[in-house]
Amino acid sequence: MADTGTPALLRVDGLTVEFPGVRALDGVHFDVAAGEVHALVGENGAGKSTLLKVLGGLHRPSAGAVTLDGAAYRPRRPADAVHAGIAVIYQEFNLYPDLTVAENVFSGREPVHPLTRGIRYAEINRRAAELFAVLGVAIDPTAPVSSLTVSEQQLVEIAKALSVDGRIIVMDEPTAALSADEVTRLLDVVRRLRAEGRSVIYVSHRLDEVFAVADRVTVLRDGRHVRTVPLAETSTDELVRWMVGRDVEALFPRGDAVAGDVVLELDRVSAGRQLREVSLTVRAGEIVGIGGVAGAGQPELSQVVFGALPVTGGRMLLGGAPYRPDGPADAMRAGIGFLHEDRKAAGILPDLSVRDNLTVSVLDKVRGALGRLLSPAAESGVFATYRDRLAVRATGPDQLIGQLSGGNQQKVLFGRALAPGGRLLILNEPTRGVDIGAKVEIHQLINEITAEGAGVIMISSDLPELLGISDRVYVLAGGRVAGHLTGADRTEENVMTCASTGRRIFSPEPVS
Amino acid sequence: MNTSLGKLWDTWGITAILLLLLAVAPVVTPDFFSLDNAQSVLRESAYLGIVAAGMTFAIASGAFDLSVGGQLALCSVVSLMGYAAGGTALAVAAALATGLACGLVNAGLITRLRVPPFVATLGTLFVFRGVAYILTQDGPKTLPYDQIGSPFVKIGGLNVAGLPLPFVIMLAVYGGAWVLLRRTATGRRVLAYGSSPEAARFCGISATRLRFFVFALVGLSVGIAALTYITRVWTADGSAQDGFELKVIAAVVLGGTSLKGGKGTLIGTFSAVLLVSVLNDMLVSQGVPSAYQRIVLGGVLIVALTIDGLRTRFAAPGSLRRAVTGQGGRTPRPGLAR
Repeated sequence: MADTGTPALLRVDGLTVEFPGVRALDGVHFDVAAGEVHALVGENGAGKSTLLKVLGGLHRPSAGAVTLDGAAYRPRRPADAVHAGIAVIYQEFNLYPDLTVAENVFSGREPVHPLTRGIRYAEINRRAAELFAVLGVAIDPTAPVSSLTVSEQQLVEIAKALSVDGRIIVMDEPTAALSADEVTRLLDVVRRLRAEGRSVIYVSHRLDEVFAVADRVTVLRDGRHVRTVPLAETSTDELVRWMVGRDVEALFPRGDAVAGDVVLELDRVSAGRQLREVSLTVRAGEIVGIGGVAGAGQPELSQVVFGALPVTGGRMLLGGAPYRPDGPADAMRAGIGFLHEDRKAAGILPDLSVRDNLTVSVLDKVRGALGRLLSPAAESGVFATYRDRLAVRATGPDQLIGQLSGGNQQKVLFGRALAPGGRLLILNEPTRGVDIGAKVEIHQLINEITAEGAGVIMISSDLPELLGISDRVYVLAGGRVAGHLTGADRTEENVMTCASTGRRIFSPEPVS
Repeated sequence: MNTSLGKLWDTWGITAILLLLLAVAPVVTPDFFSLDNAQSVLRESAYLGIVAAGMTFAIASGAFDLSVGGQLALCSVVSLMGYAAGGTALAVAAALATGLACGLVNAGLITRLRVPPFVATLGTLFVFRGVAYILTQDGPKTLPYDQIGSPFVKIGGLNVAGLPLPFVIMLAVYGGAWVLLRRTATGRRVLAYGSSPEAARFCGISATRLRFFVFALVGLSVGIAALTYITRVWTADGSAQDGFELKVIAAVVLGGTSLKGGKGTLIGTFSAVLLVSVLNDMLVSQGVPSAYQRIVLGGVLIVALTIDGLRTRFAAPGSLRRAVTGQGGRTPRPGLAR
């Protein structure tokens, strides 16, 4: 290991990556020795993914240096990384579903017959089988990738990395979608890679895996390097403290909530396999946070309440009355507003103006004297109201929404969610991808909305935000409620324990 | 190019070119503005124009209706059969009902069987034409010459204040379509859905209802167009207006409606339809063979879209590299004048 005198295979020094308005990485340094499994941990937004993308040749740093085997490593495109022997396996796989396993492993580098230029299938199938033997797994090289499970596809990615003799294999949340058995098998594969003398950079939320497989760990927070230590010299508690390490209360002011009547009640609601028997309540004037690791069922929960995903079991009550929305239009008529977590793909209407983006949720209410016809004056009135209230910075109602900054786009979408009546607001990742100024404004806005009596469900993977402005927090794990945290129990440690370890924590119900 | 200029071009660019062409037309064709010639150009543009109005909705919603050629043939044949059976009223009702039914069949295939619009309407293009052929196995349906005084025939032949009735119908269709697209909730939903179907879903827009609306509207527009067409040519069978669907789509795209959906301009479509008709008239008057007319139309379309493509590319930051390398990249699109 590097700190015991072994020369580092990969060394990162003072690495800084800047995006418009954000410094994603700020002077990060760490090193990886040959034959080392090096874990990289940190909260969402700590800069792990950015770091991986620099190593993979997708982002270029604005400052700092990476050295590989003593030579400068400056990948300009993903192919450069592959040539240098660095294989990055992202959460989204780069596989062709309709090609076979072997075709995928050797994609673009297939050995061909010198005369016919045909691919030598016998050879690639044999070599793929050899690679899987090294990994200690049995996968049929001739099977189409689409027939494989997620964990098998991951092994195909790893075999691909081995086929180009990858010296450093980088895995981004490799176990996010795996079952317990599959996780065990993957960790075995990682150990085999290390035994082969290869290095692994292992990024994961799950600290138990990190302790099980890694030699050293580097903790990142807010784009900065916090600590690099051998795992033998630390503990889960210590790692969590380093990952969190911030004065949460100061950033997110939240007055005492005056919770009113129950607005929404879910009683053992299920939706397919994504959501299982979820029960929760939301009161007027309350911000109810929903936490958990990615894929635990948060978007599904929000969509079930908004009528965008059918309920397969249980029942919902809205204001005490049975609530069975037949599509989002029903939910909107009932006064429910919705903010999607993916602003670009499922939020903005890119070809429409800011005004049209806002009024699309209240088209039935912006009609003029002519009955069924839209009234441009009424639409502009609605736009002006929300522009002033939300401090939207746009040149005018006709500006295309795509021309606004992320934060201003988000404010317009807030207006769209508020306009149907503001009885209940479902906010998915309300501050994802907005700058810090807009973030504070949006938090103040959420406070105001609840002060006016609306109930808010806020789903956030940003833990400080989740805890800072929620009155109560439900933690989801595997589609179930794994924790309900109120009062002093609302700590990052508790959320992460419920989300990542399967332990359940329920604060005592308040006497009311 | 700056944004407001870009927007102006989007809406009025093709209209400006049309006016330019009209200014040149008398030089090339001395009798271009004679009453006879002008009326003939306008009358000829009506059925293409009326269907193009409906198609503007389909394309703005992010879909094609490739079956309009088959629909036109079927509507024309059924309308003539209706006339033979029950006179003008039945002929009109038959054309409209057939168009509407065709549209509902398309929408049903797309929403119930989940066939993509492109494939569904490609299939029904053949089906509708096939049915029209079956109905005319014993020879084309025709309007007998002794019916020249019938009110039905007047649809194609009458002039109102100097304007051919088909063109007056087309003007009315465009007026109604403009109000529908720009001043009703349904029209706004069409644009929203075309811009981002996924985002539209979370705005409470039902994809099923929207598809039914759009394809029924296209069908209805074909029904109206068939009335102006059949009363001009007096005869129809399964082969009527072969390749019509592509002419319609070409006109809509030429007018500036985005093939990606989310943007539709009826003023642009209207001008593009007239542009095509005027251009055709000029070529005919110059004795250019019809094969070359097709080449000219194709060339105009390609040139117009190339200009449009270059404009949107160069309006975006980092666009030069993308235009050169031809790669889209995943950069956001701030300042994109579309």
